[in-house]
Amino acid sequence: MLCKFTPRLRSLRPLNRSVHLGHLPNSRSPIVPTLSFFNSVTASDEKIPTFRVLDGVGKPVDGAQLPEIDEAFARKLYENMQLLPTLDVVLYNVQRQGKISFHVGLHGEEATIIGSAAALELDDEVLGQYREMGVLLWRGFGIDSVMAQCFGNQDDISGKGRQMPVHFGSPQHHFHTISSPLATQIPQAAGVGYALRRTPDRRSRSIAACYFGEGAASEGDFHAGLLLASTIPSPTLFIARNNGFAISTPSSEQYYGDGIASRGPGYGIDTVRVDGNDVLAVLVAVREARRRTLEQGRAVLVEAMSYRVGHHSTSDDSFAYRQRSEVEDRKRIDNPIARFRLFMEAQGWWNAEEEEALKARLKADVMKAFKRAEALPRCELGELFTDVYAGEEPWNIREQRNELVGLLKKYGKTWEPWRTELSKFKNGGKDLTQA
Amino acid sequence: MLASRRLSSIPFASHSRSRIYFIRRNSSAAEPPPAGGHLPSIATSQILKSTKEKALRTPGLLWNDDEDTTGIVNVGRECRKMNVYQAVRDALSIALTKDDNAVVFGEDIAFGGVFRCTMGLAEEFGRERVFNTPLTEQGIAGFAIGMAAMGHTAIAEIQFADYIFPAFDQLVNEAAKIRYRSGGRFNVGGLTVRTPTMSVGHGGLYHSQSPEGFFMGASGLKVVIPRSPIQAKGLLLSSIRDPNPVIFMEPKILYRSAIEQVPIDDFALPLGRAETLVAGADLTLLTWGTPIYHCETALHMLDDPPPGDSRSVARTGRLVIVHEAGMTAGVGAEIAAEIQKRCFLRLAAPVKRVTGWDTPVALQYEKFYIPDAVRILDSIVETLSY
Repeated sequence: MLCKFTPRLRSLRPLNRSVHLGHLPNSRSPIVPTLSFFNSVTASDEKIPTFRVLDGVGKPVDGAQLPEIDEAFARKLYENMQLLPTLDVVLYNVQRQGKISFHVGLHGEEATIIGSAAALELDDEVLGQYREMGVLLWRGFGIDSVMAQCFGNQDDISGKGRQMPVHFGSPQHHFHTISSPLATQIPQAAGVGYALRRTPDRRSRSIAACYFGEGAASEGDFHAGLLLASTIPSPTLFIARNNGFAISTPSSEQYYGDGIASRGPGYGIDTVRVDGNDVLAVLVAVREARRRTLEQGRAVLVEAMSYRVGHHSTSDDSFAYRQRSEVEDRKRIDNPIARFRLFMEAQGWWNAEEEEALKARLKADVMKAFKRAEALPRCELGELFTDVYAGEEPWNIREQRNELVGLLKKYGKTWEPWRTELSKFKNGGKDLTQA
Repeated sequence: MLASRRLSSIPFASHSRSRIYFIRRNSSAAEPPPAGGHLPSIATSQILKSTKEKALRTPGLLWNDDEDTTGIVNVGRECRKMNVYQAVRDALSIALTKDDNAVVFGEDIAFGGVFRCTMGLAEEFGRERVFNTPLTEQGIAGFAIGMAAMGHTAIAEIQFADYIFPAFDQLVNEAAKIRYRSGGRFNVGGLTVRTPTMSVGHGGLYHSQSPEGFFMGASGLKVVIPRSPIQAKGLLLSSIRDPNPVIFMEPKILYRSAIEQVPIDDFALPLGRAETLVAGADLTLLTWGTPIYHCETALHMLDDPPPGDSRSVARTGRLVIVHEAGMTAGVGAEIAAEIQKRCFLRLAAPVKRVTGWDTPVALQYEKFYIPDAVRILDSIVETLSY
């Protein structure tokens, strides 16, 4: 729809325009008589441009064409963007009170996550890193499911309380369960894309979408994933969230080239860089990227530029490696939610009263879900031993569960650390203590 | 995880001490037998099924017929002489024929594979189902996991087990744990990673390794190692269809050297079951893969064992474990620990491990590295005379 505004890389234009002397036999590379090094994928030797639709105060930039969105869709975008910091604040504080063990926020990346989620079809397969909770929420996962996972209670459909908080997953929402090892999902996404290509009723309809941070893009699996999805080829859309930091490491210490986008053409794939704080730009760019992924049946890369406003996680104090003022400046000058709100207000779709009402409603919803999740027990203790294998249970696992049963009978009521923990499980762990 | 591993055990019977001298005169027994010799090698192994009748009597064999053939088990079954690579190729062909969701991929597999295990498959099933990947082991494993997560049957090849380590993270942190970490809602049961393993005579450090022990601690994975063409076919088909991710390690020296009659129909052999090849009462000899033939040779260096009726260490009281990988923290350590726990009062001698040394597999030193027949024999004698 708006591809004329999508910056295109003209990397195929010969760098040296002098008369060439034919081609190498196994390459389209023109032979030239002059020695010329290059260090840019743009024909102009400049950095790859960043696609933007709205400026910092929510006004369309000159020459940009707005996507056709109606008020209802815009409100859905905005409400989902606002839900993320509401959840973040509560989960952050709940972690600080010791009620959950860990939290990773996505403050500053609301537009990247919601804009891209809105550009995907609801049954596109998503493989994320861990800051993509917004994709699940956009798809109707629900605040209760978020809380259940973070508390690891009996309603945790993501993983029966086995994984750390924010490791969500749901086949129903086509969102593959998050795992902590960085970038492992990237080559997996290529395989998911290939499987979709081999599934008759999804072949020309569904893609795999894979999110990762700019730090994760330094892993070998990034190389493998983009290489495979372009070479084999597999309809896989890679979305790099470049928020400037991998924990304490600034992106200037992560790479020396032109970000992540400059690598795309090296793998022979269509690539675009987008302002990740501009939800409409992300929406437009990812929609077009998705279209190309499906049409070409191979990888496409989107690099969304944003800024990680929050700490890396609740285990991190980011002011140990960056100035508080820098963060405050970024929040004030370039806030993705404020930018879109100003746009909404200019359209007459939003006002201060609605803002207050939304914030109050979201907070009430989140607190209600939090209180519900907090009160629920964990799964049965025996779930510690299930799902390791399908089919016949191996003898070693059976024996080890029986060993724990024996130990619980001996010490379950007297060894304080166990006694306290047992009370948190469904039926007080009786499935094992009375087995 | 012993249950997830197919191990073959050869308990055997008594011998006379005088045989030791006989043994010492034949200490190069891992070599092909001398002309007119009396010791078996892979080529003359009694373990391999030389006739159709023997092949069809393979213990545990289950037919996977399209129609129910219960009750008429072996009637009309055909066999064909195959070596291990042909048996692997046959299994892959059956898997691809019967399962439209099955794909086979890896480095150089489209032209038939560097060990010929995928000969003709690309032509027969098309390049969408049998294809080359770029040269990236972590990528191959990750790609396979992604396909399997979508319910497809992904049969990936790692060209040598020595090169599986770049995929270690994908296999141990991802494939092994996906079912567990997702509460059973996602799984990669359709994943099988095939890889050639063990020494080959001149493989040096990186074409000889036996890394099964590294994967044994990864709960969620199964590791399977066959010893013969029938096993290669039956166990590979079982691995491909098992609802868990399986690493299937093919002893590469057997690809061409181990030949037997293999049923041409679709059949399975059970995973997680050891097979007793020779019954005996005095000592249990336990191994898998290539060393099984060294064990056979070592046994023939003793008296022909009289038949016995006991199969367990608890009965024989003595155990020798043989594997090619180094000793420290190898699979033998796990088995030895379990056996001493379960059979403490029955053990008449310490559990003995005959393994590769705790060194890399050095090229010109291989004959002195591998646990060959004379080392096995020596351990048997040491254990019996303890």
